[in-house]
Amino acid sequence: MIGYLTAIATLVGVRALLTLGLNVQWGFTGLVNLGAVAFFAVGAYTSALLAVGGTPLVFAWPAGIGLAAAAAAALAMVALRLREDYLAIVTLGFGEVLRLFLLNEAWLTRGANGVTAIPRPMHARFAEHYDLFYLGVVVAAVAGKPVFRFKVQAFALGAAVAGLAGILFAHYLAYIEPNMFLPQESLFVWLALILGGSGNNRGALVGSIVLLGLLEGSRFAKDVIPFLTGVRLAAAQQMLVGVVLVVLMIRRPEGLLPEKAGQD
Amino acid sequence: MPPIAQYVFNGVVTGGILALPAVAFSLLWRLLRFPNFAVSTYLTVGAYVALMLNRGVRAPIEVAWLGALVATGAVALAVDRIAFRPMRARRPFSLAIASIGVAFVLENVVRFVWGNDFRSYDVPVTRATSVAGLRIGRDQLLILGVAVVMMAVAQTFLLRTRLGIAMRATADNPLLAAVKGVPTERVIALATLGGGALAGGAGVFLGLDASIDPLMGGGLIISVFAAAILGGVGSAPGALAGALIVGVMEEVGTLVVPPTYKTAIGFTIILAVLLVRPTGLAGARA
Repeated sequence: MIGYLTAIATLVGVRALLTLGLNVQWGFTGLVNLGAVAFFAVGAYTSALLAVGGTPLVFAWPAGIGLAAAAAAALAMVALRLREDYLAIVTLGFGEVLRLFLLNEAWLTRGANGVTAIPRPMHARFAEHYDLFYLGVVVAAVAGKPVFRFKVQAFALGAAVAGLAGILFAHYLAYIEPNMFLPQESLFVWLALILGGSGNNRGALVGSIVLLGLLEGSRFAKDVIPFLTGVRLAAAQQMLVGVVLVVLMIRRPEGLLPEKAGQD
Repeated sequence: MPPIAQYVFNGVVTGGILALPAVAFSLLWRLLRFPNFAVSTYLTVGAYVALMLNRGVRAPIEVAWLGALVATGAVALAVDRIAFRPMRARRPFSLAIASIGVAFVLENVVRFVWGNDFRSYDVPVTRATSVAGLRIGRDQLLILGVAVVMMAVAQTFLLRTRLGIAMRATADNPLLAAVKGVPTERVIALATLGGGALAGGAGVFLGLDASIDPLMGGGLIISVFAAAILGGVGSAPGALAGALIVGVMEEVGTLVVPPTYKTAIGFTIILAVLLVRPTGLAGARA
């Protein structure tokens, strides 16, 4: 039971960091990003591959954060001058192409087999490492105030926070593979952000908890509705996620915990 | 190894299929001012409606195809009424996000009913004929022919009929068109219905040419975007040309990179167009 709660707390933390990262980009700076999963994946893979190769974590982790930020800065310099509807398409495409890269370039990423035996420095006592989450929260909060005059920096910083989320995810699970980084993960980050209310760091946590409830609830639903097969249950759950997103966009674009001024 | 001409031919067929959702996506983007991410999922909807008719009640594939046109148009219209209409005045990105949610719902409805298995239509197996060293399937020719006819009908409608002209007027300047008495909501409804039908019909073609699974339409999303952006947003002939170029480049590209990188080719085209000539081939202001 404790193990399960720790897992839930960790996953909420990872999702909350992802949401905070997107909040820096969209909530505070108004930058569109439909490829949050890309920077999550860059952080996870960079740190995991370095660590498995024997690099100490004190170097592997900053490398993961740094590369996520660098990838975002490169994309931002090309794409940020585009109108937001084009930017939506470009960032979505970037996330998908990156996943194809992870899948195909097995010499570097180990392809579909994934990266196994990633060091787990914190074992099951992950919840004790609140300082890492706290770091992400502080970075996101500081950046949230209009400190960043340049969009590229805001975009890169949001990606760095997503990269940190990826690092924690990889080293907690000890195993990652490309299909953990499907485009729909970017959609889930949006859902958490909108659930909580964009431009609102407290909302990011609430949104992440509600989202995880939606995504993980099926474990419990399985016992209640036994006639649904695994595929059907997963499909029903994802339908629910989609419906919640659409209804929220129509009814409450300012989120469950709105700030004074909404974004929409 | 087949000659490069074979890849070009296959690319033209793929491009012909791609052209239908690309035209729908491009015109709807211009008319409603947001990229509708659900359009490529309408292919999946159409393919499964036809599957239901073809396998369920043993309808011939031609009848199933007609059923897919009608049903997918109706689904697109229902989606517009339920999800997009209440948001008409909102910023494009909010609508884009909602459309991703819609795509996600539709895809999972399909998955809920039919599961993740690959499926195919019950159609007589035809042998491919060999013309000048090229393997050409009867289905491929038929798909290409019908796609060309559908494109011609759509273009004639836009250029020659009152409603088509009203549609273009609304796309160019919604306020002016409304002032001049163009019934905006009727125009939107008709464009949505037609766009949904085009995409649904393309889904059946895709199911005949390749196979049927819940991700078949969604997996084409980058290619559809690439075709529309390359052609110039809002231009039907542009989207057709864009789709043919994207189709051929993706097929020929598999000579150089693994086939799984097809999406990356589409993505590269998008980036190149946006950096070099954001207005696309047609050159209209987007």
